[in-house]
Amino acid sequence: MGAVFTLSQPLLAASCCGGGSSSALIMPKFAKGMVDVSFSAENYDGYWNSAGQYTEDPAGSDLNQYRLSLGYAHRLGERWQGSVITPHVWNDNQYSGVSSTTQGMGDTTLNLWYEGFDNVKCVWKIKKPEDWIPASYYGLSMTLPTGVSPYDDVKNSFDITGRGFYRLDANLLLDKTIYPLNATLALSYGQYLERPVNREYGRYVEPYDKQLGDRFSGSISGGYTQFLDNMDTLTYTLAYAYLQEEQGTINGAVDTTTGMNKQALSTTIAYASMDRDWVFKLTLSHSPKRDGYGESFPVTNLITAGVNHVLR
Amino acid sequence: MCFVKTFAVVVLLLMAGCQDNMNPSGEDKRPPVQTGIIGNQVGQIAPDFTAESTINSAHTLSSEWQTHDAVVLYFTMWCPICDEHMSHLRATYLSNYPNVQFLLVDYVNGSVSSARSAQLASGYGAMTVLVDIDKTIERLYDGTMGTTIVVDSGGIVRMNQSYSDGSKLGQVLGELP
Repeated sequence: MGAVFTLSQPLLAASCCGGGSSSALIMPKFAKGMVDVSFSAENYDGYWNSAGQYTEDPAGSDLNQYRLSLGYAHRLGERWQGSVITPHVWNDNQYSGVSSTTQGMGDTTLNLWYEGFDNVKCVWKIKKPEDWIPASYYGLSMTLPTGVSPYDDVKNSFDITGRGFYRLDANLLLDKTIYPLNATLALSYGQYLERPVNREYGRYVEPYDKQLGDRFSGSISGGYTQFLDNMDTLTYTLAYAYLQEEQGTINGAVDTTTGMNKQALSTTIAYASMDRDWVFKLTLSHSPKRDGYGESFPVTNLITAGVNHVLR
Repeated sequence: MCFVKTFAVVVLLLMAGCQDNMNPSGEDKRPPVQTGIIGNQVGQIAPDFTAESTINSAHTLSSEWQTHDAVVLYFTMWCPICDEHMSHLRATYLSNYPNVQFLLVDYVNGSVSSARSAQLASGYGAMTVLVDIDKTIERLYDGTMGTTIVVDSGGIVRMNQSYSDGSKLGQVLGELP
């Protein structure tokens, strides 16, 4: 189930003024391109049911998903940049009597971002009101269903690596750095495209049209940057993220068995070279195993290690 | 630019193997069904079985359909999606069809004790759960996560598909004599 339901984590890097948000894959203002490689290991530990109550997995369960994501961002114009992120997913699950190991491509994301500023917005000191203005990014994303979904030849939800739907997202990212502090707000609203379905979990079914519910995600984070003697930096970030997906439809009628939400906390440490051309990041994301922090969603802990390289 | 081209080619090659979802089909590919014989498809005679429940009582399918208006089997692995389905089933149909036997089929736990633990942890202690220890029910009905079977009082399969939004189950139960 994993990659499909993963929250978008605002893994802020130390690169100045919005460069290095790994899941959004936004590169710094004056870069020509950026390469991002990250590896995530996600452990599943129960779930919240539809009433928001935390429920343990059966004894002996050990559910894991690993993802290797490759991303590339390219400058398209003075204020425009585009990027593509494609993950490869490994599922390794022991769930009571079921043992399952599968792998495959995850869903691919194409992004187009517009930068709402010309000059860098990072400042050392507020000297005039304009210095409060954050770096703003406005984006469109399209998720391509390149992963293995429940509508492929799979046995159960442990085997899937993608949702199986196209999705369009509108994104907003605001990022402000007043050294040594920084803060970020990321908002995203997405709509899935309706598709026909003629197979579920490997079995052909009476065809119908299905649409997943609209998806909202938001995150807020704050960070502190420590300058090392050689002017390399270490940035420590704390973030809170919320994800919600509304109920979907089947043949135009609301499917009341769908819909979900989840909250997560994460902490990131990022090491950046002096010129910010290399950024190494390590993120831990945690969801509380308590009632009320999600609905119809697995509870997971996630560790992500990644590196960005900026091309000048 | 060399990297960009290489990356684009790799992505396109990978995506070429994903046509099912990239270009989804609404074509009905269900195999033709021969009714009147024993089988798990709609219109066929339901294969019989006997299974232990989580409170150690034996249930034989044929005995159940003979003493109820119908039998509903739901294949659960106690996951969030299964919980959505079971919660909907319990809230929508259980009390409205008192003479229909609703049976959850735990096809993953493999033992009565662990199935019972999962049942209680998931909050379905009041429902009857069959433990498919040797995978007999899964095999006979080609069951998987969320598969929902309806067998009428004559032993004929009336539904065999994913629970989905539950509307098909409602329709089938509503059409029972």
